[in-house]
Amino acid sequence: MANQYVDIETLKFLLYKVQGLQDVLDQERYADYDRESVDLLLNSVKDFSDKELFPYFKEMDEKPAHFKDGEIVVHPQVTKYMKAGGEMGLIAGSFPYENGGMQLPAMVAHSSAFIQDAANNHMPGYIGLTVGAAELITHFANEALNDTYVPNMLTGQWGGTMCLTEPQAGSSLSDIVTSATPDGDHYKIHGQKIFISGGDYQGAENIVHLVLARIKGAPAGTKGISLFVVPKNRPTDGGLESNDVTTVADFQKMGQKGYCTTHLFFGDKEDCQGWLVGEANQGLKYMFLMMNGARIGVGRGAAAIATAAYQASLNYANERPQGRQLQSSGKKDANQEQTLIINHPDVRRMLLLQKAVSEGSLSLILLTAKYHDLSIASADADEREKYRLLLEIMTPVVKTYPSEMGKIAVDNGVQVLGGYGFCSDYILQQYLRDIRIFAIYEGTTGIQSQDLLGRKVTMDNGKALQLLSEEIQSSIKAAMAHESLAPYAKKLGGKLALTQEVLQSLMGFAMKGDYQRFLADATPFMEFFSNIVMAWLWLDIAREAQNALVTGSTENSTDFYESKIHTMEFYFKYELPKTTGLAEILMDKQALTLNTDKKVFA
Amino acid sequence: MKILVCISNVPDTTSKINFTDGDTKFDTNGVQFVINPNDEFGLTRAMWFKEKQGATVHVANVGGPTTEPTIRKALAIGADEAIRVNAEPTDGFFVAQQLAEVVKNGGYDLVIAGRESIDYNGGMVPGILATLLDMNFVNTCISLEVDGNNATAMREIDGGKEKISTSLPLVIGGQKGLVEESDLRIPNMRGIMMARKKALNVIEPVDAAKATQDAKFEKPAAKGAVKLVDNVDDLINLLHNEAKAI
Repeated sequence: MANQYVDIETLKFLLYKVQGLQDVLDQERYADYDRESVDLLLNSVKDFSDKELFPYFKEMDEKPAHFKDGEIVVHPQVTKYMKAGGEMGLIAGSFPYENGGMQLPAMVAHSSAFIQDAANNHMPGYIGLTVGAAELITHFANEALNDTYVPNMLTGQWGGTMCLTEPQAGSSLSDIVTSATPDGDHYKIHGQKIFISGGDYQGAENIVHLVLARIKGAPAGTKGISLFVVPKNRPTDGGLESNDVTTVADFQKMGQKGYCTTHLFFGDKEDCQGWLVGEANQGLKYMFLMMNGARIGVGRGAAAIATAAYQASLNYANERPQGRQLQSSGKKDANQEQTLIINHPDVRRMLLLQKAVSEGSLSLILLTAKYHDLSIASADADEREKYRLLLEIMTPVVKTYPSEMGKIAVDNGVQVLGGYGFCSDYILQQYLRDIRIFAIYEGTTGIQSQDLLGRKVTMDNGKALQLLSEEIQSSIKAAMAHESLAPYAKKLGGKLALTQEVLQSLMGFAMKGDYQRFLADATPFMEFFSNIVMAWLWLDIAREAQNALVTGSTENSTDFYESKIHTMEFYFKYELPKTTGLAEILMDKQALTLNTDKKVFA
Repeated sequence: MKILVCISNVPDTTSKINFTDGDTKFDTNGVQFVINPNDEFGLTRAMWFKEKQGATVHVANVGGPTTEPTIRKALAIGADEAIRVNAEPTDGFFVAQQLAEVVKNGGYDLVIAGRESIDYNGGMVPGILATLLDMNFVNTCISLEVDGNNATAMREIDGGKEKISTSLPLVIGGQKGLVEESDLRIPNMRGIMMARKKALNVIEPVDAAKATQDAKFEKPAAKGAVKLVDNVDDLINLLHNEAKAI
């Protein structure tokens, strides 16, 4: 098993140089941080991940979380991780000072989590969900709930979950039936939730579930859903007592086997108490206000797995001799020693694809995190609004591109290893199984694509799209200043024009009120749109590398900078042209999938 | 008890090593620097004295401004204060003379230095430092207890260990054994933020002689390909005729 799972040099180059962390650190909110402290933090997280996460990655797959005697048994390292996570500040890090946090910029928090995800993606979810649940409480719950739950969650003593899905209500949350009945200062909760990640484990002495439920008599649909704090054990004056939350079963999965996924029942003995968060019937709104961060987190996890898989397959390609290179005669010399497989062009193509997807995805995550930071920390209200809109339009992209293209990248990593890639002695197959869930978590690719085309592209009369277009135009203009990058900048400009054409064509259906047709090809549109966004990000990476070469920067080696420019060239040659075909699909007036009769599948 | 831990700023062992200027200088481009591991064992032991016996822990480094992230890490781990002698650490004799001046001015009871740094492996600094200061000295120290003014140390010797009773002020050349690798501390976020606010005093070097000059660096010869042999006779033949080891 290769021990290199992340490229810290590239992470720091993207964080500091390409996406400009300093713009965020210049904001008053983050004045306590500088590059030296961020460097120290990232190095610490890498040391921690080397020691506490990566060594257990394979083992957690081989010894999955499982249901036994009414509870979920997880790998013992989860307990250590929660405790160490609390002590290290990995849970409290991004919370404001007034909540006992360290007010860490999202760019840094995501960089830290990226390292952990790459080391062992089965583990960070336990902390990630605790952070998400605590954030919901700090943002929307009253002081009493904050005081009762948040301090213990931030130290890792108590875990947290998000309980949305029910057997009959997955993507369609309006069909939730879990009920909440007023009972004094609290509510009686009754119902069941499935697919609850981190729903039960020994690593924490209590688990605080944030549960979507319907108060008796509430309006139908999403407008009648409320949010409740429902602990596994309720705090009383005499300590913790059972709150009638039962673990019914676990789900055995193809990947992320160490990260438990549970089926919970609330109120089997009619003794499950929940406390309302904020106002009644606002639950889904609260949940979705926090969803941007969660969706960046999903994209980050996928990007991290793609990164780790790239490192593992690169390591193999650099060590495995196989076959011989073609001579100028067009033949191979059987007397020659075998060459390393990295010398075969097709292997290089697969490695370059992995590099382009994994590093490009990381840049995308850092950029979106930057939008998040500036949307809350910019001194100017107009700036905050600008970055809020940019965050909105980028959120479905940051969730989807790393998840969808990441799994293709990892698949190429398996292919680099040939038959060994399919064998459990090598780690690539685990990465391939682990990454598959990311296109499903937190809203499937289909849902994200409809969000992008149906809401985000059109929001505020297209204002978010216009702002994004201006950002891309600005990058194009800057890249034009470098003679070697100008052809790529022009090509990207052409793709922006193509985007307008595609949108004009699709908007025609919306203008006529044919929304089904408008959204029928939302997923190919996501593929088209995110491909162009990635070309933009690669152009920015190449520009920063070119600047470093021109100015003679010694922060990284010349090889390092040239590798970034080369990967950009690969992206523009092998990936960006795919948008031409996608545009043809999107502008085709025929509504093939919409008009496909069920009998076609007979 | 006032403790000074001497910190060397050394390349991470995973760094790729290259030389420049006709192989007369080490190329630091793209190299990650860390606290010298032997010093880190000493720092961790010093933290134990701080937490259990109320000691104060100071760290000192001889180096340019680029060593400050390494010093800050020591502060983030829990050291109270740091001193950087603003000079290139040209050789062990020069470094020891600078550190001796720091010790003279600081009134330390215990000085912990790593027995050697993992970059140049000179192994000179703690011994020269003790000599310059005329302080008690225990090298290759693998355990240390302090009770009032008395110290009990264990040092590694050929074929075993030696227990030494001595007294403060004391210089030790520490190594693994003072604490174990699993005891080493990773700075947490609060420690990192507090480190920014702790004093890192920069002082100018004293005039000091440099006893050595680097003529040229070279990397060890690359390892040859592995040969698989089928039987003991072939192995003996290879060891005798090719490797000339027997």
